[in-house]
Amino acid sequence: MKNVLFKGCKSEFFLGLLVLSCSLLTYCNFSRENDDNSLLYWSANDAQEVEFARQVISAWNLEHPDEQIKLQPVPEGQSSEEIILAAVVGKTTPDIYANMWQGDVEFFAQAKVLVPFDTLEGFLEFIYQRCDSALIKEITSSDGHIYQIPWKINPIMMIYNKQVVEEIGGVPRTYSEYLEACKKYQKDNDGDGYVDQWFGYANVRPIWHELRFNFYLLYLAASDGASLVENNHAVFNNQHAIDVFRFFGELYTKNYFTQDMLSSGQDPFLTGKIATKFTGPWEIAHLEKFKPQGFDYAYAPVPVPDDHQGPVYTYGDPKNIVIFNTCKNPLLAWRFLKFLISDENDLLFLKLSGQIPPRKDLTINPLFVEVFKQNEKLAPFANQARYIRGVDNNEVIKEVFDIITQEYQSSVLYGVKSPEDALRDAAKAVDVLLLNM
Amino acid sequence: MKNNKLLPYLLVSPYLIHLMVFVAFPVLFSIFLTFNKWNIISPMEFIGFGNFLRVFQDVLFFKAIYNTLKFLIVHIPLQIIVALLLAEILNQKIKFRPFFRAAFFLPVVVSGVVVSMLWQQLYGFDTGILNRMLTTLGFGKVGWLVDPNMAMVSIAVMATWKNVGLYVILFLVGLQTVPPQYYEAADLEGANHWQKFWHITLPMINPTIFMVVILSTIGGFSLFIEPYIMTGGGPLNSTLSAVLYIYKQAFTNYHMGYSATLGFFFAFIILFVVIIQKRFIEKGES
Repeated sequence: MKNVLFKGCKSEFFLGLLVLSCSLLTYCNFSRENDDNSLLYWSANDAQEVEFARQVISAWNLEHPDEQIKLQPVPEGQSSEEIILAAVVGKTTPDIYANMWQGDVEFFAQAKVLVPFDTLEGFLEFIYQRCDSALIKEITSSDGHIYQIPWKINPIMMIYNKQVVEEIGGVPRTYSEYLEACKKYQKDNDGDGYVDQWFGYANVRPIWHELRFNFYLLYLAASDGASLVENNHAVFNNQHAIDVFRFFGELYTKNYFTQDMLSSGQDPFLTGKIATKFTGPWEIAHLEKFKPQGFDYAYAPVPVPDDHQGPVYTYGDPKNIVIFNTCKNPLLAWRFLKFLISDENDLLFLKLSGQIPPRKDLTINPLFVEVFKQNEKLAPFANQARYIRGVDNNEVIKEVFDIITQEYQSSVLYGVKSPEDALRDAAKAVDVLLLNM
Repeated sequence: MKNNKLLPYLLVSPYLIHLMVFVAFPVLFSIFLTFNKWNIISPMEFIGFGNFLRVFQDVLFFKAIYNTLKFLIVHIPLQIIVALLLAEILNQKIKFRPFFRAAFFLPVVVSGVVVSMLWQQLYGFDTGILNRMLTTLGFGKVGWLVDPNMAMVSIAVMATWKNVGLYVILFLVGLQTVPPQYYEAADLEGANHWQKFWHITLPMINPTIFMVVILSTIGGFSLFIEPYIMTGGGPLNSTLSAVLYIYKQAFTNYHMGYSATLGFFFAFIILFVVIIQKRFIEKGES
């Protein structure tokens, strides 16, 4: 039997060949590269952004037959950040990536895997024309270079059920008005002695990114867009932050907000279980698809302290464009990006995706003004876009958020610490973190 | 002759390659990492015993170990009692026995993520079914996942529900190996059901109980999915398990060297616990 199956060296030769072939195939798969001069562009993988990228890249490729761009949606994974990290480690990064969260850019910049845009000809002139100086300051790295192009924002605002809000006396603008509205809307529907409907909702999971939609959001609003970290020191231990902690603390203490996870069941906003929440323009497409007959909603700025004056800032949830240092032709990439974020293509992007380009002429350029006129649900975001902040350019910003999240839990949700103590402890912990970097 | 010597190595090469790539290399690389500071994409920085010194000052890591032990203290006895009870019932001649055996095993094969999300809904403080039932019956609400004293217990109950089917099967195997003549002799002596269970069944399935304890301990130490999905480690870090903390250090904060050190430290704790259990088993067997 043995002789039949493995006839001497002949059989071993074939077995060896099989192993060798598998190895070579695997190697070839890993070492596959673009042999031509084309550049690889990774877009976000939602349908609208893929469609936008497809249209823009087709138009570019038609006009530039010798400078082709290849489109690939970012591969599926738990998060796009993890995919990019894996790509950097495996040296399989695209030339251009157009969906990087602003808070991640500094991490990659410090690791020297990004191309500084300010070293590319014409960039500074272009960026000062497109963005206001506050935004340019925000995206400038600690080493003085700029590694990202601000591309799209989704300002977080307060969405509200129009019918409910009109019944209880109008849109709440301040903490007092919001608390008053909460009191009026809070209700025990089934008579079991427990509240079944709340005026608002915010996720309480102690995960760093949730902070962007509760504390950080209202902190920006209260402080006119102040930083959390400046010159490698925590600067958030101030009256604005204390006010925000105290405000949220009251919401949970009086059961105006629930600590339950409402995200897994039916949409609590559509069912009336809640009447407001802090969210972005992405909610519009979902609500238009699923809203029941007669249901109407609108957006307003998030609540601010009673004595607040002036415009209300918010978190912009910015996603930006970067060029990786594996790019063979950064100048070509830069020329393509100028085309990608030209007036016409920004307009196309706005129309297709409903996401806002962070341009300083957004509310005066007739091209964009017309779109907002036609889409009244989107219009508040155009005005809000003038008063947005991203996050501080710090490579450990996620850990800073995580530290504040822990103290937010202690103080706001469980009352273990006073807002003053919690913020003082958070600031101390952040200072230690920044010192040991 | 030479070719014949090569063949066995070629045949075992898939396993050897797997062992080298997925076991030996990660372990050795982790040991190397413990002496370095590394965020995956920047060059490594040698820091000697810096990571080890940091472990001893890390209050949160010890809190995570305490939480894991708290989980084990609730989970293991509960699992054994429930599994043994169900196995005893399912070993009797009852109607639809095959159906019930399959039904209790079903949660074992369902994804942990799905089970965690379902229980998250059941455990909801304001909107969960359990609290709705309690209030309907006139009781107060329980903060299953929002009360820091209760959250880990709730997760332990859920984990028991998820895993008990596997241990029911193990106990069933154990119960069916008990010689029936022991029970016949006990019947002749006039022993009741409880006496037979206490004096015959339990001593006879002792090896199975120890196996279940060891499997539950190792499984319990690797507690991750349930707190990751249901609570994110909260409230007030009361469900932050050791593995979840190690994961956060590695994949949220990118402290790969430090998380490797925590992993080693934790592995030694598990080793210590398993050695103690092994001593008990050997003592029991002798």
